[in-house]
Amino acid sequence: MANMTGRVRLSVVVPVFNESESLTRLVESVREALGSELDWELLLVNDGSTDGTGKLADRLSGEDPRIRPLHLARNFGQTAALQAGFENAVGEVVVTMDGDLQNDPADIPNLLAKLDEGYDLVAGYRVSRQDTLVTRKVPSAAANALIRRLTGVPIRDNGCSLKAYRREVVERLHLYSDLHRFIPAVAAATSGARVAEVPVRHHSRKFGRSKYGLSRVWKVLADLLTLKMIHTFRERPLPLFTAGALMAVGIGLFFAAYTVIAAITFQRPEAIRALVFPSAALLAFGLGFYLFALGLVGEVAVRDRRLRDSEERFVLKEITT
Amino acid sequence: MSPASPELVTQVTSATAPGETEIREARGTLDVSVVVLVSERPASLAELYREYGPPLARSGFSYEFVFVLEPWNHERALPLESLQAAGEPIRVFEAGQTLSEASLLVAAAPACRGRVLLTMPAYQRVKAASLLPLIRRVRAGADLAVARRWPRQDSSINRFQTRLFHAAMAGVLGTRELHDVASGVRAMRADLLDELPLYGDLSRFLPIVALKEGYRVEEVDAEQHAEDLRTRVYGPGIYVRRLIDLLGVFFVVRFSYKPLRFFGLIGSALTLVGSLILAVLFVQKLGGQGIADRPLLLLGLLLAMFGVQAIGLGLVGEIIVHLNAADRPIYRLRQGNGEASEAEARMGEEVPGKREDTH
Repeated sequence: MANMTGRVRLSVVVPVFNESESLTRLVESVREALGSELDWELLLVNDGSTDGTGKLADRLSGEDPRIRPLHLARNFGQTAALQAGFENAVGEVVVTMDGDLQNDPADIPNLLAKLDEGYDLVAGYRVSRQDTLVTRKVPSAAANALIRRLTGVPIRDNGCSLKAYRREVVERLHLYSDLHRFIPAVAAATSGARVAEVPVRHHSRKFGRSKYGLSRVWKVLADLLTLKMIHTFRERPLPLFTAGALMAVGIGLFFAAYTVIAAITFQRPEAIRALVFPSAALLAFGLGFYLFALGLVGEVAVRDRRLRDSEERFVLKEITT
Repeated sequence: MSPASPELVTQVTSATAPGETEIREARGTLDVSVVVLVSERPASLAELYREYGPPLARSGFSYEFVFVLEPWNHERALPLESLQAAGEPIRVFEAGQTLSEASLLVAAAPACRGRVLLTMPAYQRVKAASLLPLIRRVRAGADLAVARRWPRQDSSINRFQTRLFHAAMAGVLGTRELHDVASGVRAMRADLLDELPLYGDLSRFLPIVALKEGYRVEEVDAEQHAEDLRTRVYGPGIYVRRLIDLLGVFFVVRFSYKPLRFFGLIGSALTLVGSLILAVLFVQKLGGQGIADRPLLLLGLLLAMFGVQAIGLGLVGEIIVHLNAADRPIYRLRQGNGEASEAEARMGEEVPGKREDTH
C-alpha cells in the first residue's frame, strides 16, 4: 500500500450502511465537488448493508475507477467502518463524511484550504443544523461542552462527520469501541494533532431514518470517562489513582480521628461500642490501598506496552523553518 | 491473540511432521479435515474411525482424520497407527502438556489440510451420516454449522440438562437461535479459527461466540447416536463451572473492548445508592440526630466504595484496551468475490446460491 501513497492526493472515506437510495446522489455530488483537477479516490465502506448497497457500490466503481468499494464482512458499526477506511485509504489527505447526504461534499475544498494553513485535523461544524431540538441538539451541545472541558480540545461539534485529516494523523489512529465520536480529542492525545474548525452546511436526512436515539446517553458518558483517561493519563495512570487513594485515606483519617477523640474524651461511649466509625476508617483505608494498587497495575500495563513498542512513541514536529 | 502454535502438538504417527511453512501451504489441499479431540471419556478411536470414515469416503469428498490427544491418552492412539500404515487417511497429534479442548483444537488447526474443519468429540454423539449435511452447509457459505441432536431420544434428565443450559444461555447472552451448542459436532471454515480467539473452555461456546461476532452460524438437525442415549449426571462443580463459563463468555463478547461500560454501570449504580444513603444520614445529622452508632452509615460507605472500586477497575481495563488497540483488528473484509468455488461445481451437489450481502 505504501508505494501507492503520494499518487492520490485525497481520499474521501464514507461509511455506508443501507444507503442504496442515496448512494448514487452521494457519488454524484462528490464528483461534482471535486471535479477532475484534483487527484482523488472515494472509498465507500459498505458496513454490512442488506439492501443492495454493496452491489450498487460495485457497479458505481465499474463506471468510475476512482470509486473504491470496501465490503466489511458484516455490520461492524461506524467506528470499525471508519478504521477500515483509514487503513485502506491511500491519499495524502483523508476526508470523512456521512453517507446519508447530511454533509455537503462542496465543503471539502474549504476543509482542505484550512488544512493547508498548517493544521493536521480540520473538523466541520454544522451551522443551521437541521435536527430536532430536544433529542438531538440539546444532548449534542451538552456532550460537546463536556468533551471540550475534559480534553481541552476546542471542538464545538464532535458529531459532525465531515472532517479532514493529514495522513500521519490517520496512521496513528487506532479506533475501537465507539471512539469515532471523539476523533479530534483522540487524535490530539495520540499524535498531538493541531486541530481547527470550519463551518459546513447541513442538510436534513432525505432518505431513511436517523440511526441514533436518546438511549446512547449512558454510553456516551462512559466513553467520556474513557476519553479523559486516554487524554490525560495514558502515559501515567498512577497519579490519577493516587489522587483517589489519598482522598479515601483522608476520609479514613477523619473517621479514625473521630474515634480516637471520642475514646479519649469518653464523650460518646455508645459510638465507640457500635464500632461504626472505626469500621468506616478501616474501609476507607482499604479503598485507598486498593486504588493505589490499581494505579500500579495501570503503570505496569503502560510500561509493558512501551517495552513492546518499537515504533517511535512521541511525535515531534519542527515548528521553525 | 496468536492464533495457533503448532509446537503445542507433535505428530506421533510415522509420517514426517510438517514444518510451519509446509503447514500453511498444505491448508486447502483437501475438502475436509475431521478433527477428533480426544479428551474426556474417549471411545475406541479405531472404532470411531471405522464408523465415521465410510460415509465420508462414499460422499466423494477428499478428507483426512486428525486425532488430537492429550498425553495420557497416548495408548489409545496405538491402534490408529496400524490403520494408518494400511493407508487410511489418519494423522495423530499429541499435546506435550494437558490442554483444554479449545487449545487442542487451536493447536491442531494449522496442521489440518481441509478447507472445512469438522470437529467432533472422541465418542459417538450423532450418527455418522449426519456429518455430511454439516460439511455441505459450510461449503454453501456458512461460517460454522453445528449439529443439533434432534429429535432427542435420550432420557428426560439429559434433555432437561441441555434445556437448562440453553435457558441459562438465553438469559445471560440473549441467544435463542441455537439449541444444542455443546454437541461438539461442528463444521467450520478452516480459517475461522484464525479470526476467533479461542482458549480455555471456550470451545464449547464456539458457535455462540461466532454467532455473537456476526458470523453466519447454522444449526443442522442430526440423528442421535445410540451411545449418546445414556443418562449422564455430573457433579455439582461441573454445573457451577458451566455457569461461570457463561458469564465469562458474556463479558468477553460484549465488553472486551469497553470494560468501563460494564464496570462503570455497576460502579455508578452502587456509588449512587451509597451516596443517597450517606446524604440521608447527613440530613439527619444536621437535624441533630447522632449517626455514629448507625450501621446504615457503614452500608452507605461500603456501597459507595465498592462503586469506586468497580469504576477504577473499569478504567484500568480501558487503559489496557487502549494500549493494545493498534494490534487488534476491529473489522473483517468480506472474503472472495462471493462466487461458488470451482470445487463446488465439480462436486455437482448442492450448488450454493450466489452469496449476497444480505447476511
